[in-house]
Amino acid sequence: MKRFAKSGAVLGASLLALGATTAPIFAQDYPSRDIEMIIPFGVGGGSDVLARTIASVIGEKELLPVQILPENRPGGSGAVGYGYVGQQQGNDHLIATVSVSFFTTPLLGASPVSYEDFTPLAAISYSPYVLAVPTSSPYESVDDLAEVDRLTTATVGVVSDAALLADMLTDSAGVQIDAVPFDGEGEALAAILGGHVDIVFMNPSELLAQTEAGTLRPLAVSSAERVEAFPDVPTFTELGHDIEHVQLRGLVMPGGVSEEVVDYWEGILEEVATSDEWREQYIETYYDSPAYLNSEEFAALIEQTNDRYRAIMEEQGLI
Amino acid sequence: MEVFSLLFEGIAQAAEPTTLLATLFGVIIGLLIGALPGLGPSAGVAIMLPVAISLGGVPALACLAGIYYGSMFGGAVTSILLGIPGDPPSVMTVMDGYPMAKNGEAGRALGMSVFASFIGGLIGLIGLVTLSVPIASAALAFGPTEMTALMIFALSLVSVLGGRNAIKGFVALALGFWVGMIGLDPIAGPIRFTWGSMDLFDGVDFSVVAVGLFGLTAMFLSLNETATSGLQKFKFSSLFPRIKDAVSSRFDLLQGSITGFFVGVLPGIGATAATMMAYATSKRMSKTPEKYGTGHIQGIAAPEAANNSASYASMIPLFTLGIPGSATTAVMMAGLLMLGLQPGPLLFINNGDFIWAVFGSFWIGNLMLVFLTLLLTPFLASILFIATAILYPIVFAIIAFGVFAIDYSMSGLMIALAAGVIGLVLLKLDYPPVPLVLGLILGPMLERNIRRTMIQSQGDLMVFIERPIALALFILTILVIAWPIIRNMMGKKSNALLEVSNSG
Repeated sequence: MKRFAKSGAVLGASLLALGATTAPIFAQDYPSRDIEMIIPFGVGGGSDVLARTIASVIGEKELLPVQILPENRPGGSGAVGYGYVGQQQGNDHLIATVSVSFFTTPLLGASPVSYEDFTPLAAISYSPYVLAVPTSSPYESVDDLAEVDRLTTATVGVVSDAALLADMLTDSAGVQIDAVPFDGEGEALAAILGGHVDIVFMNPSELLAQTEAGTLRPLAVSSAERVEAFPDVPTFTELGHDIEHVQLRGLVMPGGVSEEVVDYWEGILEEVATSDEWREQYIETYYDSPAYLNSEEFAALIEQTNDRYRAIMEEQGLI
Repeated sequence: MEVFSLLFEGIAQAAEPTTLLATLFGVIIGLLIGALPGLGPSAGVAIMLPVAISLGGVPALACLAGIYYGSMFGGAVTSILLGIPGDPPSVMTVMDGYPMAKNGEAGRALGMSVFASFIGGLIGLIGLVTLSVPIASAALAFGPTEMTALMIFALSLVSVLGGRNAIKGFVALALGFWVGMIGLDPIAGPIRFTWGSMDLFDGVDFSVVAVGLFGLTAMFLSLNETATSGLQKFKFSSLFPRIKDAVSSRFDLLQGSITGFFVGVLPGIGATAATMMAYATSKRMSKTPEKYGTGHIQGIAAPEAANNSASYASMIPLFTLGIPGSATTAVMMAGLLMLGLQPGPLLFINNGDFIWAVFGSFWIGNLMLVFLTLLLTPFLASILFIATAILYPIVFAIIAFGVFAIDYSMSGLMIALAAGVIGLVLLKLDYPPVPLVLGLILGPMLERNIRRTMIQSQGDLMVFIERPIALALFILTILVIAWPIIRNMMGKKSNALLEVSNSG
């Protein structure tokens, strides 16, 4: 009898647990309507292409019973679009991709939301940065750079991954690197090709055409491992510099969504990350590095990236 | 020459039915986007990107580029007929185009803009196919130091557009500089003059301000008039272009095309600044500078030739080096990537056929635009027979749509309205609006490049003298400023001689 009571209690408890975790009766119910995908930038930009490619891969592979509807909400350096998403706490039919502005605009105090108002879902690839110099430059290696007193680099915008990496290299190599902010990748590329700055940190997709044509020379990559597009270029870690920073491509939802929804999206995004469609349409076109990070790993890296931005912005006296 | 045989092959390829249709589609959309106040080529190309890409290959890029240079034709239409710049590069066309339309010469003004656009396009295209590689490398020599010098030179040129009262002109220019500073500081990062508004964070869109300052101000002003006044009986002949104008404007057409080409090729400067420099140069070189701004045909010829020439020139860094020098060409670069092409120095080598076919479509598109706009000119010009009481509410709705369509937000509309009210106040106090738009375009470029130079040189001002291109531009600036003084000292007789030597 006692034994029976115990198992009854267990049964009751497990029923209770079951009831609690499936509060919305999950498997049938989610997603119950089309997913809104907010792109906080204009049409044709990097974030736009990324978001639409993810949506189209999910559509082609029929991973969702509903549709993903991409919508551009540009303005305020991402504040308008991210604000729209972050303020709808608990809305689990709303997704967005992360970008540099996801971190920097809130840190400047110009956004109603910050990274803490979002639920990270998963990252599906990353873009490393490649340190490059003009082919005519006297610098053949990162060691050569360490021997001069001062260098300049072209960055896109004031606070960017390139500025962050320049800062890290300043600390690690003991060379002063001054960042000159330009408006857009085109102007930054023109500045390095014209010899107006000494070094640049750029994504492989921005750089590959130049290195293949022999106008720029890659010296190091910022990821933990070497990059497929530049197999001969060493990582900073290999060269003895403790520099590792990449741009993650991942999706977030508003804060306060249930764990089941996160699990559900982890499943979908893992399939996207490992699919041939994603490889063909994004990785190979933009020379990204494939990687899948689950929500926890992604969340940890989001926090690390935010801390790095906060540190460099404090250093520059911006916050 | 080899380039010409490549070009003829390209034109032959571009004459394929699908590419031909895509080009036609592109130029028509471009005309509409250009004519729509607010929505300009960069937003227009971006909006049409997914549609164009679905056409695939050469047709996709022919369509995208068609939208871009088509908008240069379309912008002039709104500028001339309504006094509202249809897109930023047609701001200067308002100066003389709108007074001509009000004088009953709309057809003549439109005809000139079409012809100037065609000539500018033609010269830009010849430059594109023959000079693209050397000119792209030469453009790279323009770093922040040279850009600073160029902007100062541009400001010295356009100082002639300040209006009757020099002090009021400078006040308006300073106001333009200040408006250009609103938003995120592009060099150091703090937020300036946004009063906590998210919508001002990215700064104030030039086309929105221009629409408000020219278009809405004119409408607000008309509130004081009775609805039936201002409608004149126009002659039928006023609806048609005149060949004679093209001949009398030949130097302005040439000057505008060349200015547009060389300024347009520089990354980060753009067609709008090129039109300002072309217009100012035309006025400075003219024997009758006082006629500019009152409906002078040469005042249309120079800027319209410049903006078309600049639109082709701005594609040179994209196709030869993989550098998108403007927002519009950045979207086109995204298009190239989506088509699986790799924009960069090897594009011509790896995908030469593709590029030459796209270039070929430019020639066809340019001709299509001439016929389309010439056919439409009499119909468009008859808009002026409509009473303002009927016309203005329609135009107001179109403006609202065009401004809203830039980024689908109401904030742009609010800024346009504010600019309209400010324009009205300025007008009542006799402050000229033109220096304000000059300041808004040239000011941010000047500020950014001065500060970039100062970061590079660690605050050393000597770089401006040490670098030869910058030094040459500064000497030119001094000559431009000193010119009226020299002219007074030399007396009137030797004017013609000096003018020739100064123009080179």
